[in-house]
Amino acid sequence: MIYNLRLIETLSLIMIITSVAAVESHNLKRAATAYCLQAVLICGLILAFAVENPALYVWAAVALVTKAIITPWLLLHYISRTGEEEVRAIIGFGPSVLFASALLIACYTLTHRYVHFLAPTPEAAQGVFRTNLAVSMTVFALGLYAILSRRDAIKTVIGLCLLENAIHLSLVSLAPATPETALVGIATEVVITVAMLLYVIAGIREQLGTTDTFELSELHW
Amino acid sequence: MPEVQSALPIAICVIPAALAAVTYPLARSARPLGPILNLIGAAVATILAGAIALQAIGGQVLVSLSRELRADALSALLVLVISGVSLAAAVYSFSYMRLETLLERVSGEAGPEVTKRRLASFYALSLAFLTTMLWACVTNNIIMLYVAVEGTTIASGLLVAFYWDRRSLEASYKYLLLLTVGIAFALFGCVFLYASAAHYMPEGAGVRAMLISDLPEVTAHIPHGIALLILAFFIVGFGTKSGLAPFHAWLPDAYAESPGPVSAVLSAVASKMAIYALVRTLAIFFPVAAYHPVALLVVVLSVFTMLLGGVMCLAQDDLKRMIAYSSISQMGYIAMGFGLVGLGFGGAAGYLGAYGGLFHLLTHVLSKAALFLAAGAIIYTTAGRRMSELSGLARRMPVTAVAFFVAAFAISGIPPFNGFWSKLTLYLAAAKVELWWAVGIAVATSLLTLIAFVRAGYQVFWSDGDSEVAEPGVRDAPAAMLVPMGVLAALCVVLGIFPQLVHPLLDRAARALAGIF
Repeated sequence: MIYNLRLIETLSLIMIITSVAAVESHNLKRAATAYCLQAVLICGLILAFAVENPALYVWAAVALVTKAIITPWLLLHYISRTGEEEVRAIIGFGPSVLFASALLIACYTLTHRYVHFLAPTPEAAQGVFRTNLAVSMTVFALGLYAILSRRDAIKTVIGLCLLENAIHLSLVSLAPATPETALVGIATEVVITVAMLLYVIAGIREQLGTTDTFELSELHW
Repeated sequence: MPEVQSALPIAICVIPAALAAVTYPLARSARPLGPILNLIGAAVATILAGAIALQAIGGQVLVSLSRELRADALSALLVLVISGVSLAAAVYSFSYMRLETLLERVSGEAGPEVTKRRLASFYALSLAFLTTMLWACVTNNIIMLYVAVEGTTIASGLLVAFYWDRRSLEASYKYLLLLTVGIAFALFGCVFLYASAAHYMPEGAGVRAMLISDLPEVTAHIPHGIALLILAFFIVGFGTKSGLAPFHAWLPDAYAESPGPVSAVLSAVASKMAIYALVRTLAIFFPVAAYHPVALLVVVLSVFTMLLGGVMCLAQDDLKRMIAYSSISQMGYIAMGFGLVGLGFGGAAGYLGAYGGLFHLLTHVLSKAALFLAAGAIIYTTAGRRMSELSGLARRMPVTAVAFFVAAFAISGIPPFNGFWSKLTLYLAAAKVELWWAVGIAVATSLLTLIAFVRAGYQVFWSDGDSEVAEPGVRDAPAAMLVPMGVLAALCVVLGIFPQLVHPLLDRAARALAGIF
């Protein structure tokens, strides 16, 4: 194996930091930037894996275009129309950071320790793959936390992007031999979904004057 | 099963897709082209689906593109109902989408140019929605299954938001967000399954680890822990898309706020495509006895779903929301059948469960499409949808009234309609594995459904309160709306009296699912 293990591990761990930044930043532009940084990290990770498997250069290019360029551009475009300040979350900044840290530590430790339960193959339970799997689960959990705890619609979309990044990370580290068609399908679909959600959110903003999802109360049970 | 190379699975995906691509620009330039192209797409798909179904009855499995696409009897049943209901909805749209109050609601202050654009995109997206649903049912690639299922969400998201007002935007936001998050779980499951299957496949056969039909070869080798995680992800992911409780929060909003033909397609067939994806992926693990507790979990979830849907159905005043909750309840019945497949895999109980689930799937497709089209006709003629504000429509809308009652009795499982047979099969299947509590709750929920629909039908069609909406001028909907509704209701009766008509296809599909050849 000729992977640069230290590099992969470092990049993967920085992904967690960018996730926390994307979830906790109250300024949506900064959150989107943190997300963009995370996408660049994923591209770096894929490139590090590509040393072994040249087909992954295509993946890196696709991820760069869809995740690091188009998605942040869409986010920033809509944020400039709906306002930079996030609608207050259901929990305050202090408790939220505490909760996110606890979630992060718990999720990472648990998935790292009990990796044999999670790992689809024996290799995935070892070394860098183990780190990647734990990081992927942690980023997924942070994304879900953002979706569940944030009132701002744009922020929930950022949470959704984190979920997708987590899956992408596990895909590249667990199944690097996946054909390009599958990858391109997944990547483009995420971009289209995000674009469509932001389009609908812009419509909501037009009608309601806010992106606060708590104001969406016309329809209940 | 002999596999035969065939172009049919490609054609059924490519032709509607090509039409979808040209519909938007053409319908922008000439408005009448939109509904016509939509109709052509659905009609061609129906013919091709019929051809696939005939081959499937003959015992053949159609494959193409080095087995990337694969249509067995189960896929054939699904593509047939999907294209059939889309055809009915396409005919219905001819009149419905011309409704003046609808057009006013769409254009608002924006003017006719926006209406034109919105209508053109409506027809283009309807065709795209049809394409993705058909693709999901014929794909044999586990990752592409995710791509197609998420594709249906993308294609239908803006159809739900068609009116672009407060209510429909709220429904569309919930729809897109919750389904995408739900489906993200399914993707995680697909990735894990592919990764582990690729490891256990024989040397040089790694590509086959993506093919759903080949995955059962290796399931016995996949470690138990990860397999349970994969199954949990599938249940959450595809369960959300099928509207199983407790993942159903998006469903009543989306079904109730969409335009009539979209509601019919969403409820009657999009949910079936999702439950197909669920059972296809779960069935990979069914042959291994160690995963039978998961099948029991599916039965428990589905019984909870049917009961919750049935109770919520009674609490609604909005006609479309009531029908939407009834959909949740019926999805519970179908999922129960599929759960029983896992419990009794390879035996009579599994076969009965599969047969009952598929038969009820067919029942629900026919009756729920008819009910949503009937609700659309009521909205079309009266502009009202609150049951407390509607009354005495039976005399003014006799065809709609008959279709509504036939479909309502069918879905409640009253003889001589098709729902009686499908529910009976499900009860027998559950009794076969001695899940008496499930039988009890299923029978009780059928009663709840009957009560809800009789109450609703009485209020809307017979009661003679001083209604504000049922003005003397109200007449039944135009023929383009009555014909599809009538045909669907008539099929409920025909299949109730001659259930053997669909037996050849259901039998093949149930055998494929239950592992009996």
